[in-house]
Amino acid sequence: MAARGSLLQGLITRFLPWIGAGVVLGILPALLPSYMQSICTKFLIFAIFATSFDLIYGHAGLLSLGHAAFFGAGGYAVGVLMLHTGITSFWVGLPLGIVVAAVIAALFGFISLRVSGMYFLLVTFALAQLLYSIAWNWLWLNSSGMQGIAGIPLPDLGIPSLTWNTTYFYYLVLIFFCICFYLVYRIMNSPFGYALRGIRESEIRMQALGYNTWLYKFIIFVVTGAFAGLGGVLFAYFNRLISPVYLGVGTSFLPMCMVIIGGSGTRIGPVIGAMVIIFVEYFSSLFTPERWPLILGGAFVVAIMYARGGIVIYLSRFWKQIGYRHGSIEG
Amino acid sequence: MEVFARNLLNGISFGMVLFLAGSGLSVVMGVMGVTNLAHGALYMLGGYVGWTVAIHYGMNFWLAVFLGGLVSGLIGLSIERIFLRHLYKQPNEQVLLTFGFVYIITNLCIWIWGGRPRMQFASPALSGLLNIFGMPYPITRLVIIAIGLIVAIVLWWLQDRTRIGAIIRAGMDDKEMTMGLGINLERVSMLVFFLAAFVAGVAGVVGAQLMGVHSILGLDILLVALIVVIVGGMGSVQGALSGGISIGLIDTFGKSLFPQFAMFTMYLAMIVILLVKPSGILGRRV
Amino acid sequence: MEALRVDSLSKDFGGVHALSSVSFSVGTGERLVVIGPNGAGKTTLFNVINGQLSPTSGRVFFFEQDITNMPTHQRAHLGQARSFQIVSLFLNLTVLDNALIALHGTKPSRFQMFWPMNGYRNLMDEARKNLDAGMLWEKRDEIVKNLSHGEQRRLEIALSLAQNPKLLLLDEPSSGLTRDESSEVIGLIKNLGSKITVLIVDHDMNLVFGVADRIIVLHYGQVIADGTPEVIRADPRVREIYMGMEECIDHVGVG
Repeated sequence: MAARGSLLQGLITRFLPWIGAGVVLGILPALLPSYMQSICTKFLIFAIFATSFDLIYGHAGLLSLGHAAFFGAGGYAVGVLMLHTGITSFWVGLPLGIVVAAVIAALFGFISLRVSGMYFLLVTFALAQLLYSIAWNWLWLNSSGMQGIAGIPLPDLGIPSLTWNTTYFYYLVLIFFCICFYLVYRIMNSPFGYALRGIRESEIRMQALGYNTWLYKFIIFVVTGAFAGLGGVLFAYFNRLISPVYLGVGTSFLPMCMVIIGGSGTRIGPVIGAMVIIFVEYFSSLFTPERWPLILGGAFVVAIMYARGGIVIYLSRFWKQIGYRHGSIEG
Repeated sequence: MEVFARNLLNGISFGMVLFLAGSGLSVVMGVMGVTNLAHGALYMLGGYVGWTVAIHYGMNFWLAVFLGGLVSGLIGLSIERIFLRHLYKQPNEQVLLTFGFVYIITNLCIWIWGGRPRMQFASPALSGLLNIFGMPYPITRLVIIAIGLIVAIVLWWLQDRTRIGAIIRAGMDDKEMTMGLGINLERVSMLVFFLAAFVAGVAGVVGAQLMGVHSILGLDILLVALIVVIVGGMGSVQGALSGGISIGLIDTFGKSLFPQFAMFTMYLAMIVILLVKPSGILGRRV
Repeated sequence: MEALRVDSLSKDFGGVHALSSVSFSVGTGERLVVIGPNGAGKTTLFNVINGQLSPTSGRVFFFEQDITNMPTHQRAHLGQARSFQIVSLFLNLTVLDNALIALHGTKPSRFQMFWPMNGYRNLMDEARKNLDAGMLWEKRDEIVKNLSHGEQRRLEIALSLAQNPKLLLLDEPSSGLTRDESSEVIGLIKNLGSKITVLIVDHDMNLVFGVADRIIVLHYGQVIADGTPEVIRADPRVREIYMGMEECIDHVGVG
């Protein structure tokens, strides 16, 4: 009977966090006021963005300094689609955004991977700025008389009886967040994911073992670009406006912060980081909106210097303690 | 013909500012292996300090240049001493850290100086035009070219002809060996970092004659400096100079010949170099 | 068929001639050891054979195929494997992860992105065999950077054996090891079987004379001697280079 008891305890310890997350993400927001639901939606969108960044930074060890290029590209695809063809169908906008982002990622990846080390970082940065400049200047990418594209409506799902409200939109984003989270989890545990970590640890060793490391780096560039593009598509529908800012440095910086503060190379680190930053940003906007970049920069510097494992490390220690006390098999 | 000559001189003078802005970044990257993304912010900081000295307090322009450099130099040095030093073997984290500082420095500048941009300013003694081959040309730009040349010569002399320069180059190739020879590489690193930040600050004031100072400069200049490093080659004064002048000329002639594509000539140059000779014009094999 | 043939290999770095017209061949199943003072070009030679460097001139033939300009990872697929002088393991991953990654290097499933690594039963069995041979199975969940130097060396060699190579390049396998640990390595090399050809660079004379079928001596990038251990031992030029090591060479037992 003791064995059975500890098995149950073990199951609970393992699954409790997921059940908790399910409640918090799945049920709680339905009970919140509309503006809080928006914040939660924004958090999920950026969790997708941050997770895509962690895939290339935390796992492959490549610091892509211009990741917003892919995020913004997805958003612009949706905006341009609406602006120039009037199509607002989600089922066109979504795949288009992902494909556009992936194509740009392939192009950028090809150019950046010509060089390595510090040069690589600089090139990813410069290429993103190039895209930013193009978005700023090319009239075709702008609604008349302004920067960016405004008036993006909520997506048309092709369900005639559906009228949007923040709750429904939240759940739409939640579905995609879960899909994204699950896919990234599968990639991390697959041979490809293992290979990425090997490349991060010792690229020459990987080559001597038979891995075409360039190809791996290129593929992950495209894959993370696609995921970031997905985030961008959802963001465009959420924000109803896409502008060059979302291709720029400020937007690239956000997933970096989220990953560092939350914990890189882990499953939930980026998600936790996204939650922390989006919510703190909201509260800061109520009290000291002008000082927000300073707060963000400061927290970021502190995290890099002193809390490298991110919040996840503290959480896992805490959870392990619980496990020990109840004699779980995880201990 | 006059248009060509004017563009040529404009391109070179702008290129000199780019050289000044990019040289510190390039040398620190090549010598210490640190990519200091806050370099553009140090340029901007120098510019703001220079403005305060020269315009707000109405003091001598060259004093402003020196103080702008000094403040940036000290801030840059403290970033290295207090933070970067502890991240010695982790280049990715170093870069991220400096990225964080871009935000911090930029926001502090906005806090202190406000969001309003500052117009171009220069020494009153330099106002006016000089006749170059029958063409009137602003003295300030000629002075910029002169400053750039002087700095380039001084830095090159330090790099190639002094013991410190030799130490730096040795440290670049083999840190352990150099330290094993009993040379205080740490002191030299501090000097290099300070000097790089100082030049950035100086560049900020010198460049303010052409571009003024505003709060987005931190990123704008960073981008340009990065392109200069990529195009010219990392780690040497001559690389930064060749990159700076090239981009200065390309940008100026580009704006003159293809005004609608003005922004992109720099990026195009960068992409071409990456595809053709990734290590840069005067760079070593990457 | 010769497993490996290098033909007039030269490698220059700026003004330094790291390799000067090096030529030799290695028969299938042979144990060839390359020795020479520091800076003689031994690791450069390995880097050219394995593809980390391109020669300035000369060619490399692997089982009669010209691989001079072939990228490293393709050489692995042809059957080359290598251990590195400076331990280059996946330090922040577990021993088991290291083995799994190594085993996957030449398998087509290495690009697979969806099904978990744990699902590959055969792979786990192979990893077990591989790690058992290096006596590392018990430590499979240890993070590699926490292993002792000797254990890391064993893992390094185990990883290079993971892909069932035809040619094994061992770059200073005994570096940093104790007497006992070196003996283990010698034993391991001896038990590799005649299907694997082994090319070794090392300084430990016990290992060199204990394992070699043939020895090549490199000095300033040139081959100055090439023969059986007895021939090398007696060669006056070799003795001159290793002045002071004469005793060493004399006292090492045969076989």
